[in-house]
Amino acid sequence: MKPRIFLALAMLSSAPGVMADPARQDDQGWLKTMAFAAHLTDYSGTFIYQSGSHVEISRITHVSDAAGEHERLEGLGGERREIIRNNDQVWCYLGDGKVLVKKREGGGAFPALLPEQLSALNENYLIRQGEEDMGAGFHAHTLIFQPRDNLRYAHKMWSHSDSGLLLKAVVLDEPGHVIEQYAFTQLTIGGNIDRKWIVPDKSPDKLLDKSQRQQHQQHIVAAPGTTAVAVVSGWQVGALPDGFRKILEMRRTLREGKAPVTHLVFSDGLAGISVFIESLANKPEVRPGLYSQGVIQIYSKIVDDNLLTVVGEVPPRTVLQVAESVYFGGQ
Amino acid sequence: MKERISTLMDGELFEDESEALLSRIKLHPEAKHEWQTYHLIGDVLRQPDHISRDISAALRERLQIEPTILAPQSRVSKKIRYFAMSAAASLMALALVVWMSVQVGSEPAAQMAMQQQSSAVQTASYSVSPSYAVNKGMDDYLMAHQEVSPSTDVAGAATYIHTVAAR
Repeated sequence: MKPRIFLALAMLSSAPGVMADPARQDDQGWLKTMAFAAHLTDYSGTFIYQSGSHVEISRITHVSDAAGEHERLEGLGGERREIIRNNDQVWCYLGDGKVLVKKREGGGAFPALLPEQLSALNENYLIRQGEEDMGAGFHAHTLIFQPRDNLRYAHKMWSHSDSGLLLKAVVLDEPGHVIEQYAFTQLTIGGNIDRKWIVPDKSPDKLLDKSQRQQHQQHIVAAPGTTAVAVVSGWQVGALPDGFRKILEMRRTLREGKAPVTHLVFSDGLAGISVFIESLANKPEVRPGLYSQGVIQIYSKIVDDNLLTVVGEVPPRTVLQVAESVYFGGQ
Repeated sequence: MKERISTLMDGELFEDESEALLSRIKLHPEAKHEWQTYHLIGDVLRQPDHISRDISAALRERLQIEPTILAPQSRVSKKIRYFAMSAAASLMALALVVWMSVQVGSEPAAQMAMQQQSSAVQTASYSVSPSYAVNKGMDDYLMAHQEVSPSTDVAGAATYIHTVAAR
């Protein structure tokens, strides 16, 4: 693990743009270190997630090796809820025994925190280091992202002082109410981490034992093989919230067997907003309305013959502003 | 000694026993430390606002010191030991809940969404659902968004909790 972190730090110090302002370099450096740590560190632990009255206790394992990244999130308690990612492939086991196999798009290159994104970050948030603290028994640095307007949430992050790993995170709205938070209660960094669950091969048949394979064949909803192509779709956001820039535009399938949708992605450096447009002819299952899950808001509405869905880690007003100003400008 | 202190704290000792134990506590620094720890636990349970930030480290240490019961013991002492251990263990959880509750606002997300929408530029009315658990097909959008959002870069697989929590 250590050489990897060393490499990450070496890459950070040589990154262009970061050196420009020494006052900012430190804070941005932390964010980048955290991003590298999230991808390169081997760790396993238990964390508590809380949003309103909703509390989840989950176990998380992350391993990075020559074959790439493998991670698993297991909900503890209740029916089986588990998500396993093996590089760009994601398996979901969510309650009803369904196994969704997805191919992760756009997740190949990391970190997504490009230099231009880091400069956007400073335009939209006042970043400062908070007090030193503890998290899961580890010494932590804290970073506070105070938004410069009310179009985004405030974030506070506790980062492990040695590895940069995120130990705690709190998201607050404008009056200072907690939208959601999570914190490791127990964390092991490096060392002997259980790897039995790691998916060894891209073929789903080979990665499961016999009983799992039977379940897989019965319930498999989709196989890998979804596609994504960069396009100029013609769809526009007329009143894009200040500070957001388009980072991706593609035509993609969300699951194999489904018709492709248009997917636009905007970011203010920290939060992301996705805009999905699909034809009503696809008979989408989503019902129009505004939905919240902690920091994430989803707003769905019908625009002409299309279903428009906006998803983002931003306040409802920001999601609505985007949704209400989407139009087809022609190709 | 530990269980005697625990019993004393619970007020389950006779008066003469208590006095004898208290004078022993005064003489033995280790017992005194134990006495203080139990009081700290009591204080925290009563006054969560004044919880020490570093308490989890102290407790972790304590949990490691706490012996595992292997030898057969009398029923009474087992019960007491169980109390002592669970007090330390549950305090770990309590410390975290306290940390969370200090920062928790009382407004549910949906209510907030209502408030925020009223101040939004749009005048159209929106139906706000407390959760999208009922809404099949939402997972696909959620997962697709998490793949590309910069927040995933920092939090890693922890962001999948939104998909898990939506169930």
